[in-house]
Amino acid sequence: MFWRLLWKLLRGSGGRLTVAILALVSCAMVVSALLNLEFDIERKLTQEFRTLGANLLISPRNAQITGSSPAEVMSESDVSAAIQSVKDPNVAAAAPFLYVVGSARNTPLVIAGTHLEELPKLEPAWRIEGAWKPSKAQQTACLVGRNVAQQLKLAVSSSLNLIYLRKNAQLKVIGIIDAGGAEDNQVFVELAEAQDLAGLPGQISFAQLSVSGTTAAISHYAARLAAALPAYDVKPIRQISEAEGDLLSRIRLLIVSMIVLISVLTALCVLGTMAALAMERRQDVGLMKALGGSIGRIVTLFMAEVGVLGAAGGFIGAILGLELSRWMGQRVFGQAISSRWEIFPLTIILMVAIALAGALPLRLLGKVKPAIIFREQ
Amino acid sequence: MATLVQVEELRKEFGKVHALEGVSFNVDAGEWIAIMGPSGSGKTTLINILGGLDTPTSGQAIVDEVDVARLDESGLTRFRAQKIGFIFQQFHLVPYLTAVENVMLAQYFHSTTDEKEAQLALERVGLADRIEHLPGALSGGEQQRVAVARALINHPKLILADEPTGNLDEANEETVIQLFRELHREGHTILMVTHDPAIGNLADRRIEFAHGRLVKVTPSNDGSRNAYR
Repeated sequence: MFWRLLWKLLRGSGGRLTVAILALVSCAMVVSALLNLEFDIERKLTQEFRTLGANLLISPRNAQITGSSPAEVMSESDVSAAIQSVKDPNVAAAAPFLYVVGSARNTPLVIAGTHLEELPKLEPAWRIEGAWKPSKAQQTACLVGRNVAQQLKLAVSSSLNLIYLRKNAQLKVIGIIDAGGAEDNQVFVELAEAQDLAGLPGQISFAQLSVSGTTAAISHYAARLAAALPAYDVKPIRQISEAEGDLLSRIRLLIVSMIVLISVLTALCVLGTMAALAMERRQDVGLMKALGGSIGRIVTLFMAEVGVLGAAGGFIGAILGLELSRWMGQRVFGQAISSRWEIFPLTIILMVAIALAGALPLRLLGKVKPAIIFREQ
Repeated sequence: MATLVQVEELRKEFGKVHALEGVSFNVDAGEWIAIMGPSGSGKTTLINILGGLDTPTSGQAIVDEVDVARLDESGLTRFRAQKIGFIFQQFHLVPYLTAVENVMLAQYFHSTTDEKEAQLALERVGLADRIEHLPGALSGGEQQRVAVARALINHPKLILADEPTGNLDEANEETVIQLFRELHREGHTILMVTHDPAIGNLADRRIEFAHGRLVKVTPSNDGSRNAYR
């Protein structure tokens, strides 16, 4: 009889309850979308921040460039071996760099030796005109920064003669880089070429890595790498890590604040609807009490009704919310947010709690005196 | 016959208003009592106290050996469920429950529901073809018969009827009164508030109230009783 009564109560107050369930569905939709976003935001932000470039630097202790060649260098093989030994699937790219200051056409410029094919993975935000990778026939290829190309009037396929001290290298421009930073003033050549020019075979200035994952995971990887390279400094690039952490905290605070605000507003909406419903049900409650219904049994019936409303609102809203989060992910990050199925129970529990909190007026029905209700009529 | 209801020096005050002032009387098991008097004389207040819907200011109201005045809220709830069958002038059916569900509601609050038994109760009051109807689809007389079926379903010790024919036309009034006569013949104890002297004469005794006081107790005569036969 309990379920039969519950069903009849739900059907009997359809109009009023529609308002409450619409509020709950709307709330559940936004809350589940925000929760889904919250659960996935760290991964998404990490991906976004990886487009900003490397976030881990291996360098000699107290590294600095003095004059035209680096004062301190590291062993390329030591660094490479350490990166290989501390294997981590989160390492998206790793590249050694040797920087020297040379010249071309009597113009001084920074020559950066690296593995050219690693650059697009290490710096996904850079734009290029031409190609990243040299073909096998172009062993002496180079990439030039936008400003260098402008100053030296270079185009893709132009020849470039780089001079360092008494050595020179004849290179072919395969791509022009638009990095939007200091790299636009540099020339990128294969590491071996730079080492040969500088007369520093097997030596590098530093290595950069792009590691995905949370700030904590990156720090953990850096610590493992540092243990494998005790002679060198292994540090996360602080500006990027801190910006990532700060942004993540702010977004999380915003999401939690919105969830709390929306929940309170929904509870108030349910409260208003239930207050009206409580007035309508005074006579029914008076009658139920006259028939011997205990306060506990009657209030349980009404609370169950509200609980069902909350659960139904939560379920429908959670489904809609997952769609909303996919859409939000597409709009904000350019790709859909992954659906997290744990959102369902969380949203349903939250909506039931909100509905029960909003059903406070129904609890007051327990105080209805049948004799007074009947006397009013 | 054993005494089922004992009322001793019963008083009820609503602020400065004295609804009942020292009322005393007894009702035997199986007796039909008509409670009469002008509006505001305390009839409904008496019914409410005897039914456990209200509590007296002082005095005793003993129903089936239970002093209603001494019961707390949960005790009154159990008392109403187990010993009392209410029939109201306004019928007081739950509008979104069918006839049979309205009867089952009383079963639900008493113990467990039995739909078959509830259907039989409706058949008994002549509503076999109205079992699944909502109150809104029933006439006043039919609604009151549902209320009678609901009042009887838990086999109460005492049936309290507050002007049960007050909202009915003549034909429906006759049907409902016939039901009360049958209940009386079966041995049910009935306390019925009524303004109608003809109905009052059908009872075993008429208890008349004025200004909260019991002013007259009159046994009915058989001639009046035959009017509805």
